Amino acid sequence: MSAITVDLRRNRLMLSYLIVAVLLVVLAVAGGLLSDRFLTWRNIGNLFQQLIVLGMVSLGQTFVVLMGGIDLAIGSLVGALTVFLANFLEWRPDLVWLALPLALVAATAVGALNGLLTVVLRVHPLIVTLGMSSIIFGATLMYRKEPGGSVPRAFADIAYAKVGGIPFSAVVLVVIFALAGLWLQRTRTGRSIYFVGGDREAARLNGLPVDRIVVLAYALSGLCAGIAAIFLTARTGVGDPRIGAALTLQSVTPVVVGGTILAGGRGGVLGTFLGVLLVTMLNSLLNFVNVSSYYQWVIQGLIIIIAVGIHTTRRR
Amino acid sequence: MAPLDTPMPRSQSMSMASVFERYGLLVFLVALMTVAALASPTFLRPANLVNVLTIAAPLGMVVVGQTFVILVRGLDLSVASLMATVAVLATAFKATTNEAIPMIFIAAIALSAVVGLVNGWLVAKRNVSPFLATLAMMIILQGIRFAYTGGAPISTLPPGMGFLASGRIFGVPVNLITLAFLAIAFGIVLHRSRLGREIFMVGSNPKAAFLNGVAPDRVVILCYVICSVCAGIGGLFLLGYVGTVSNWVGQGYELDSIVAAVMGGVALTGGRGNIFAALLGVAVLVVINNLVLLLGFPIEMQLIIKGVIIIGAAAFYRTRLA
Repeated sequence: MSAITVDLRRNRLMLSYLIVAVLLVVLAVAGGLLSDRFLTWRNIGNLFQQLIVLGMVSLGQTFVVLMGGIDLAIGSLVGALTVFLANFLEWRPDLVWLALPLALVAATAVGALNGLLTVVLRVHPLIVTLGMSSIIFGATLMYRKEPGGSVPRAFADIAYAKVGGIPFSAVVLVVIFALAGLWLQRTRTGRSIYFVGGDREAARLNGLPVDRIVVLAYALSGLCAGIAAIFLTARTGVGDPRIGAALTLQSVTPVVVGGTILAGGRGGVLGTFLGVLLVTMLNSLLNFVNVSSYYQWVIQGLIIIIAVGIHTTRRR
Repeated sequence: MAPLDTPMPRSQSMSMASVFERYGLLVFLVALMTVAALASPTFLRPANLVNVLTIAAPLGMVVVGQTFVILVRGLDLSVASLMATVAVLATAFKATTNEAIPMIFIAAIALSAVVGLVNGWLVAKRNVSPFLATLAMMIILQGIRFAYTGGAPISTLPPGMGFLASGRIFGVPVNLITLAFLAIAFGIVLHRSRLGREIFMVGSNPKAAFLNGVAPDRVVILCYVICSVCAGIGGLFLLGYVGTVSNWVGQGYELDSIVAAVMGGVALTGGRGNIFAALLGVAVLVVINNLVLLLGFPIEMQLIIKGVIIIGAAAFYRTRLA
């Protein structure tokens, strides 16, 4: 009985992936028909270069959502980290080797704090992370109100570097997604994230260290935000407290589009990866055919609703 | 089987709890105001107090609506976007005389009702999580609004709108009178009517509500409509206060309205809360904001304090009443 339901769930997820994959192909073909520059290597290279930031924050969001939570502090955190990186590197351009680990550790710590607060205070993650987002944003603004700072040339290069013609950032993204997927599927801790997201009480009764897994998921989300911030700072060259503002909500879209259920326990990183591809490609295509970014917002909203309509039948 | 006509024991214990919540928050508010008065002689001046209340009124209107949605286990992230969209709609009449004001209000309320209907339909009928449904609505409204204005601010408004938003009758701000009227009307609906009891039932146990002959879907949709209409009205009053539409009128009100409601003891798990306590939450929030300014702290500190408060308040009510 339970084997059958598990099978159905897996098929359901496969169906989600298939739908998104088909949509990707449709988009690519449509892009090729609408503009002869869309399917060129140059544009595809550009497209892949853009993936890393949205990809990383969405991956972080995936961990948290699979575990049954939500992280709305991602955007503020990314903004704060770009400010830290750009200002630190302006002060000491030679200390890149120190700045990057520091940023990653700080990001992971903030993520873990989010998790700890939800566990200790037993407050809904929406409230905890919204509150944290407000705190982080306020603190960043008290330090720097306007975009500023600069980065050394060598650091900026990581955003544009290529490995055998393929953008370095895209390689990093694919490797990280692959590792994340393997970790979630093949390791005990990874699978327990699904377990906690599916039924927290049952997970607790089965002796899983639920609280630690919750904190771990948020810490991973923070770490992902840190990686996103590194590439974002390298690309833009400045630290901007507001740059992450839109990222929080953008990070949710690919997760949902990829078939991960907001209630937790079902979905996966492959779906998120396809979701990131779809969203990025769609935006690129809309830019190509000169649709104003205003209508891109409308389309993004519709995508969320349609994706949820396709993927969910259950009440959250 | 007429459970709706007889008060349930649970609702009695709930009102005890909400009484505690109300007075607990009231004590906090008085303490805050004492601190503010001690910290700055400006605070208790009537001009400052009236000013604080005038700023609070539009937020209060949004909170009245947000309370309804949270009571049925939802939340509405689209309120701020709707406020700005309604503001843009109001300027679309390009009216310079006051005859247009009733039309503006009717159009704004109609648009808000449609938005609320869609939100509610998505949540109740399509089982979309409230977070995603209202998030999508927020982005869609934002896109439509910007597509219409092209991003430029507009300021063609009938002069009467300014009076509604910052004018006074016998020294009392008009928008405060409107808020009081809205709060009392919806307070009666929520705390004294059959519909109100149905809302509490659906919020605390949808299945039981269904078994008692309540249609949960209809109640939920209605709550979203009420929320959007309150936000729309709040948007018009905020617009009159600000004077120009910047496309971002009301930004931050989605978070602030949830903060205020949670501080006022409206449980995010649904089924527990009180409109007037939620409005006390608004008072606490604006007094804190005012205090930050009076003490000469940077305005960004409001963000930090707000964040601490929302987490703290949610934790407080959880441990007290869980």
